[in-house]
Amino acid sequence: MSFFGFDTSLPRDKPGQSSQQQSMFQQHDPFGGLRREDAGNGETLDFEDTYDGLGLKLDESGDTFNDDTFGGEEPVTRQEVGKDFDFAGQTARVRDDLLEEQVLHHARQPMQYAQPARPKKTGYEAYKEPEYIPKLEADASIWGKLSSSKKPAEPQARPDSSARKMMSVEEVEAMMRSQTKPTPPVENVDRQSQGLRDMLGVGTPSPAVAPLEQTRPPVQILQRPQQQQQAQQQPPPQQPMPEQNTRAPQILQRQHSPQQRPQSQDFHGQPPYPTQQQQPLQMPMGAPPVQPPQGHRGPMQPVSHNRGPSYNGPPITQAQQMMNMSTDEREAYLAEEAKRAKRNHKIYLLSKNNGLMTPQDKNFITRIQLQQLLTATGGVDNEPGSEEQLAEDFYYQVYAQIRGPPRSGPGQPLNQFAQTYLFQTGSRYGFGRNRGQLRGGDNHVQRMEQQVARAVEAAKARPKNKSLVVEGSLGKIAFSNSKTPRPLLNLKRADSESRVRPPRHTTVADRKAALRDIEHLYSTLMKLEDHERHMPRPPQEDSPPDEIERHIRWRSEMQALNQQLWEATKVMEPIQPAPTQPHPFISILSHPKGKKAIPRLFRHLEEQQRLTMLTLIVIHLDSLDVVRDAYPPADNTPLPGKVKDEVELFSQAVMPPLFSYVNETTLGILVGMLGLVIDRVHVQTILRTKVGVSILTMLISRAELVSQSLPSGAIVGSSGADDDKQQWSNLYSRLFDLIEPTLPHIFPTDTNVSAADDVYVWQFLAAMGVGASPEQQQRLVLGVKERVMETVGVAKSLMAAESMGGARPGGTPGGAPNGVGERKMGEVNLFMRSIGLDVELLG
Amino acid sequence: MAEAEEAGGANPVNEPLDLVRLSLNEVVFVKLRGDRELKGRLHAYDSHCNLVLGEVEETVYVVDEEEDNDEDNVRTVKKQSEMLFVRGDSVVLISPQQ
Repeated sequence: MSFFGFDTSLPRDKPGQSSQQQSMFQQHDPFGGLRREDAGNGETLDFEDTYDGLGLKLDESGDTFNDDTFGGEEPVTRQEVGKDFDFAGQTARVRDDLLEEQVLHHARQPMQYAQPARPKKTGYEAYKEPEYIPKLEADASIWGKLSSSKKPAEPQARPDSSARKMMSVEEVEAMMRSQTKPTPPVENVDRQSQGLRDMLGVGTPSPAVAPLEQTRPPVQILQRPQQQQQAQQQPPPQQPMPEQNTRAPQILQRQHSPQQRPQSQDFHGQPPYPTQQQQPLQMPMGAPPVQPPQGHRGPMQPVSHNRGPSYNGPPITQAQQMMNMSTDEREAYLAEEAKRAKRNHKIYLLSKNNGLMTPQDKNFITRIQLQQLLTATGGVDNEPGSEEQLAEDFYYQVYAQIRGPPRSGPGQPLNQFAQTYLFQTGSRYGFGRNRGQLRGGDNHVQRMEQQVARAVEAAKARPKNKSLVVEGSLGKIAFSNSKTPRPLLNLKRADSESRVRPPRHTTVADRKAALRDIEHLYSTLMKLEDHERHMPRPPQEDSPPDEIERHIRWRSEMQALNQQLWEATKVMEPIQPAPTQPHPFISILSHPKGKKAIPRLFRHLEEQQRLTMLTLIVIHLDSLDVVRDAYPPADNTPLPGKVKDEVELFSQAVMPPLFSYVNETTLGILVGMLGLVIDRVHVQTILRTKVGVSILTMLISRAELVSQSLPSGAIVGSSGADDDKQQWSNLYSRLFDLIEPTLPHIFPTDTNVSAADDVYVWQFLAAMGVGASPEQQQRLVLGVKERVMETVGVAKSLMAAESMGGARPGGTPGGAPNGVGERKMGEVNLFMRSIGLDVELLG
Repeated sequence: MAEAEEAGGANPVNEPLDLVRLSLNEVVFVKLRGDRELKGRLHAYDSHCNLVLGEVEETVYVVDEEEDNDEDNVRTVKKQSEMLFVRGDSVVLISPQQ
C-alpha cells in the first residue's frame, strides 16, 4: 500500500490478503476503505470487502466453565445457591440479638477500655474468696459512691465480649444453633434484655418500667448516706447510678464493687438497715429479672446490667442528689469537683499536644537554633583571635579593646555567649529538678552542651573556601551565604606589592595625587594598626625561645611597617626652594581626612620623625590651607564656612599631638623652630590666622616656660642651657619686632567684639607678655590698647545687662548668651595679668 | 623617592572603584536614575555602589507638562539631608566635586 493512499492491490485480493497475511496482532486499518473511496475509485462496498476476518481467529476454548460460573441454562433459584450467601436473611433473623448485643456493647465499653490499662490483676480475685472482707471503704465514702451494681454487669458482659472476640468452635456452633432454632432460650434472652433495658432506662417493652424510672432518683439519693454509714456493708442496689460513674474513676468502682458482690445474694436477709424501704422498691423491677441468669451462672458471677449507661446519666439526678446533702457536704463536694475539673482541664491543656514531636524533631530544632545563635555571634567559622574573627566584628573588638579589660581574649565572646546560654537553660532545667519533676534535667543540659560542641565542630569542618575555580575557565563560582553575599564585582586584585607600575610623576602634586597619598597613608596606617593588635606577649626572662623569636619577628615587622608609614606621610619629600606646588605632606594636610590621619599616625612615629614633621609644618605654615585660605579677606567678610570647618578640624586633630610633642621638647629645639618661622615664614601673614597664632602661641609659651624654669646660667655653668636662653631672648626680640606692627590687626574683625572668637589671640598676647621686657610690654599694650578697652567696655555692659536682666529669660540685649561678658573679661584679664596688670585697674 | 615608592609599593588605585575611594570624605557629585542628583560628602561605599553621603543636597528635576502650550517646564526641587544612604542600583555616576 502506498503511503499516499493509492492502493496498488486489486480490490478482490484485499480480503484474502488481510485474512491470510495479517497476523492476529496486526492492526486492521479501519480507514483503509475510506481512503480508497477518497481516491476516487467509486466502487461500492460489500461485506466481503470490508470484513477483516478477525472473527475467525477467536479462540472459543476458554469458556468451558461459563455455565458453572453463570448458571448455565437452568434458572437460578434461591434454594440451590445455598444459604451461606443470604446475609440479609440471616441478619434479619438475629436482628434482635444483635440489638441486644449492641446495647450490651455500649454498656460494656468503658470497661473494655479500662481493661487494657489494668495490670494483670483483675481486681476480681477477691470474688473467689467466700469470706471476702471489703477493705476499701474509705474510697467509696469519699466519692459518695454507690456504684454497687456496676460490677455485676461486667461478668455477664465479659463472657460475651470474649465470645465475640475469639470464639471457640463450640461457642460458634452453640451460637449458630441458638440462632437457627426458634428457641425457648429466647425467652431468657428477652428477659435479660428486658432487664438490661430496665437498667439502662432505654426502651421499655413493659409499662411496669415507667414507675421505676420515676422512683429511681430518690433511691439513689437515699443510698448515698446509707453507704457512708454502713461502709459498704449494704447490698448493692440493682439500679444504675449514672451520676456515680461520671464522678468516680473506674478503678474506684472496680475496687469497691467486689465488696458488695458477695452480699448481693443475701440481699433480702438484711432487714435492719434503714434503707429497707427503698430496697423493696427496687426488687420487683431490677432484681427478679436479673437473678435467674445469675443463679445458673453461679454465685461468683453476679449479674448487674447497669455498668455502662451510667456515664450518660442525666445531670438532674446529680443536682437532686446534691440538694439532699448538707451544706457543708455540698460545698466540700463542689469544691472537690471544681478542683478536679480544673486539674483535668489543666492536664488536658498540657497534654493536648503531647507526642506531636518526636525527640529527634526536638533535637533537630534545638540544633538549628543553636547553630543560628552561634553563627549570629560570629566566629564559629573562624578560629578565635584569627583574622576572620577580627574582621567579623571588628568594631566590637576594637571597642572592647578601648573599653578595657573585662574581656581577656578575643575568643571569649563566643564562649561567654555559649556559656551564658547554656547556663540559663541549665538553670531552667535546674528549677524543674528542684521540683523533682524533671529527672531528665541533667540529661538535657548535657545534651545541649554536646550539641553546642557538635555545632561548633560541624561549623568548623565546613569547607572554608568560598569559591570554586574550575580549571581552565575564566570565571569562578562563588558560594554565597547570608554573611558573605556573592560579590557583584569580582575583579582579580593584582598583588600590589609585586605589581610593576609605570613610574608616576609625583612631583606634580595635584589634587588627585594628594588623595592617592592619603589613601596610601591610610592603608599603611591600618596595616600597622592591625599588626599592632597582633602583638605577641612581651617576652619574659624565662619565656621559651620561640616566643622570644616571635616577638623579635613581630618587632622587625613593626619597624618595617613604621618605615612604610613614614614614607607614606611624604614628610621626607624634598623641599623645593621655590615651590610651585605645595609640599606633598602639606597637600595631605589640606584634606580633612589627611588632618584626621595625623593624630592616628603621630603615636606611631618616633621622636625624630615627630620633630621632622613638626618642622615641616612650621616651615610651611603659610602654605597650610588653614592659614592660606583663612587669611581674612580685604572686605572684612567672614570666612566661608568650609574654611572655618577646616580650621576647626585642624585645631582639633593636628594641634593636640603637636602640642603634646612641643610640651616635652627642649628649649634648643624650640629656638630652632622659631628661628625657622622667622626666617622662612611670613609672620605677619600667619598672625592674621587662627592656626598660625595658635602655633606661635604653642611655641612661645613653651619656650617661656622652659627658659624660666631653667636655672639662670650664672649659678650653674651649663653653657648649653645658657646658650639656649640667650638665643631665645634674642629670638624673642626679633619676633616681637616682627609682630608689633601687626598687633592692631591681630584680632578677627569679621564679627563684632561681643561675638568674636578671640581667645586664642588673648592667649597669644599673654604668652608674648610673659616674656616681654617692661618696654616691650608697654609696646604690646599700646598695640592692642584699643581692643582691650573695647572688649572691656563690651564685657562690662554685657555683665550689667545680665545682672539687670537676670529675671528676664532670654539673655542680654546684644543677643549674646549669659556669661559672655564675664568670659570676655576673663580673656582680657589673661593678657593683662601676664604683664602684671588687671582689668580692674582700668577703671 | 623612587626607591621609597617601590618599597612602600602600594598603589591604592587598582580597580575602578578605588577611584571612588579617593573621594572618601570628600564632597562628591552623584547622578542618580530618575533625574536626581546628589551632592554631599562621601562617607562610605561598597562594591554595589551603595553610598553613604553626609550633608547632602538632593536635586530632583521635575518636568511639568502644560496643557495649553506644549512646552515642558523643567522645575527643580531641592532637598537637604544630613545623612543619606543611596542604594547602588540607582547610581549613574560618581564624580569628585570641586
